[in-house]
Amino acid sequence: MKKETKKATEHPLSILANQAYEAFAEMGFEIGTGPELESDWYNFYVLNFPKDHPALDMQDTFWIKDPKKLVENSSAFLQPSVGTFRGENSQQASSLVLRTHTTTVTARELEKAGKEGRLPAAFISVGKVFRNEATDITHEMQFFQIDGAMVGENISLADLKGVLTNFYKKMLGENTEIEFRPSFFPFTEPSIEVFAKFNGKWLEMMGAGMLHPNVLRNIGLDPSKVQGFAFGGGLDRIAMIKWNIPDVRLFYQGDLRLNQF
Amino acid sequence: MKISYNWLKWYIPEAPTAEKLVDIFNYHLCEVETLTPILGEEGVGGGDYVLDLKILPNRAHDLLSHQGLARELASLLNIPYVDPTPKYKIPTSAKATAGKPELKIYVKTSLCRRYMGRIVRNIKVGPSPQWVVDHLESIGQRSINNMVDAANIVMYDCGQPTHVFDLDKVKNEIIIRDAKDGEDLTTLDNKAVKLKNSNVVIADSKNALAIAGIKGGKIAEVGNNTKNIILEVANFDPTSVRKTAQALNIFTDARKRFENDLSPELASYAMLELSALIFEMCPEAVFEDVVDVYPNSQEGGFIRKLSFSTDRISKILGLKVSDKEIEDILKRYVINYVIKENKFEITIPPMRLDLVIEEDMAEEIGRILGYDKVKGNIPKINFKPKQNETYSKITSARNKLLADGYSEVMTYSFCDKGEIEVQNSASDKKFLRTNLTDGLKESIKLNRLNAPFLGIEQVKVFEIGTMFKKSGEEMHVAYGDKKGIKEEKLEEFSEKLEKNSLTFLQPSAGTFRPKNSSPAFRMWSLFPFIARDIAVFVPENVKSSKVLKIIKDNAGDMVVRGPELFDEFKKEGKVSYAFRIVFQSYDRTLTDGEVNEIMNKITDKIKANNGWQAR
Repeated sequence: MKKETKKATEHPLSILANQAYEAFAEMGFEIGTGPELESDWYNFYVLNFPKDHPALDMQDTFWIKDPKKLVENSSAFLQPSVGTFRGENSQQASSLVLRTHTTTVTARELEKAGKEGRLPAAFISVGKVFRNEATDITHEMQFFQIDGAMVGENISLADLKGVLTNFYKKMLGENTEIEFRPSFFPFTEPSIEVFAKFNGKWLEMMGAGMLHPNVLRNIGLDPSKVQGFAFGGGLDRIAMIKWNIPDVRLFYQGDLRLNQF
Repeated sequence: MKISYNWLKWYIPEAPTAEKLVDIFNYHLCEVETLTPILGEEGVGGGDYVLDLKILPNRAHDLLSHQGLARELASLLNIPYVDPTPKYKIPTSAKATAGKPELKIYVKTSLCRRYMGRIVRNIKVGPSPQWVVDHLESIGQRSINNMVDAANIVMYDCGQPTHVFDLDKVKNEIIIRDAKDGEDLTTLDNKAVKLKNSNVVIADSKNALAIAGIKGGKIAEVGNNTKNIILEVANFDPTSVRKTAQALNIFTDARKRFENDLSPELASYAMLELSALIFEMCPEAVFEDVVDVYPNSQEGGFIRKLSFSTDRISKILGLKVSDKEIEDILKRYVINYVIKENKFEITIPPMRLDLVIEEDMAEEIGRILGYDKVKGNIPKINFKPKQNETYSKITSARNKLLADGYSEVMTYSFCDKGEIEVQNSASDKKFLRTNLTDGLKESIKLNRLNAPFLGIEQVKVFEIGTMFKKSGEEMHVAYGDKKGIKEEKLEEFSEKLEKNSLTFLQPSAGTFRPKNSSPAFRMWSLFPFIARDIAVFVPENVKSSKVLKIIKDNAGDMVVRGPELFDEFKKEGKVSYAFRIVFQSYDRTLTDGEVNEIMNKITDKIKANNGWQAR
């Protein structure tokens, strides 16, 4: 007899991440990766978060205990590839966090591209991020974020809208529409919230906007010469909407019953 | 922040309906979390709506108030704003009351940017007028007494926190100073706090009376017998307020406003409003002159300007904006401007601390016009993406493991012990994992219990993820089954792959994916399942599908998996088919008895066929 062989199954978030990468690759984006343990410089201050500002409340952060010891012990924290580990104002290492967003990767990749003279440039990354908050069906301490940016001479909000419309059509279906609503992030100006219309309902999908000139300056770019958009949002959320998965915590249980796709 | 629709309408009588306002807020200003009608009789709090708004942090300087929002809406919608100031009854005042010392204020810290104080004598503490009670209750606040309510009304109305002290409980003078280390204060809500030198207090010559910008203290509390009061309208450093309140774990509406950096210019307006309100409540009250300590007054000298060009705004938004549209917006927002060398130069209104650079104006114009005007475009840029090595390695490893029959899981990065610890955690798992193996072991255990449900005989899983050691983080690959788990660095795993085969090296787009993708997720039942096997002996010419159909038709609606043919052999002109069926309910635990009954029914149906046997 032909005994039915069960195929190995892939995690839904991997399937989705690869679909997202494909969608952005078609639009000319390069894949970026970066560390999960991050300096407060890349997680906050390079992104124009002022110290002791309520904006920091928007991201409940896991700060690492005794970061100085870790940094002294190892050169691993001084990499990866781009930039040096530094605190605000290029002082020596101050604090380590579990990254609260993968905009860290976007910042690192753009900084590197600028140094290598590879502008205009566009990067996309999907990576694990961490928030220190109580968990429930829509909140988890770890989840995946999709984050990207495009920088060039004339990149505008209209380009952001085109790129994200195309992306959400690929992820949620051809009928998907998107719209922008006002928002605030320290690293973008203007800042917007991206909503997608799925099954007749407008759903909040991600934050986005035009990179703040301070951010461009912090990563060594000249805001009088280049401008660009950036965006970031939860991949888990897209998966939950797309497949109607009821609880974000299901993604991290190691439970194969999740792998239905 | 909760706001009352009727309260807003005081200032913008031509405001659209509350339902329409929701969209206007969402698309032009900030998110509306809820819109709630207030039930009850018209005029006694009824007929109102409460909007819960998520004011954005960059507009918290000027929008955490009804007047602030009304002014914004009036400009946005181009409708009249009714300035309440001319209606205020302005009390006459004297420098001091005969025979009494005048108010003395000493600001001894730079963290207090402005302090306005005023003595009011001969007031009567009592209940508030009904409109005050209604206004406060509509936004979820409790009326306390007319003095406290007046202070609160002013804050929710114009955004400036204020405070009222009982003058007769204040010794000699008002001093704004750093707290002493270990200084005690009991707050109005009877919480005893120990202050630190980095905190700022309002004090008299003897005691701390209030935590500056955060919470009043018990000592100079206004009570039913209070006759004379001091009004406080001040401005404090936002960072200091935030740090102090955070350390003391005190959340108040005053804190929320101060930590978002209020303009010190707002204080004089608030003093005017508070005085008028108290005068209205207590016509017999005697007002003394306002004492205003304002070390770095912004009046006159400090004018902020901002230049921007229409071209640049258009270039940022990707939308052709005209000079006329911009001029129209500036006029509606009462922003003074001149045109210099093809650029607008505006005088930034004192309250608009969010407007600093050209990009801020792009946002301002974008949101006022509405971002729906921005039409999408897919840019073509001259950029040659490179392959990301880490991603390629992850993809190759994943494809290899999937091809070898391992299924992918993800487990938690946090655990009970490890080498790197987080400072604070909402959970009890404070360490970062030092391996993937431990998580994978748990996964295998869980999935083995569910193997019949999953329809697999052997549980084989893998995870690709980061682990954390003192020396840094590392991407690992771990894979295994009940017999054991192998874990290695992604680098090592892919090196081996490279040596052994080239097949998986070029991931390009499109990865290995199982074919039977279903459109929607099906949540499993949280109740236990029961798996049963049935073997059927039938003549050789009977196809398995025929047997399967009979089983299926009689298995009822609790079948979550199967019947699946898992074994088949021929013997003496007959063939044996073995099927597995998994039963499970979505709302209860199935009993052996009821599953036995179903299985008996199936067995009977099988046996009813000539030459068929069931075991």
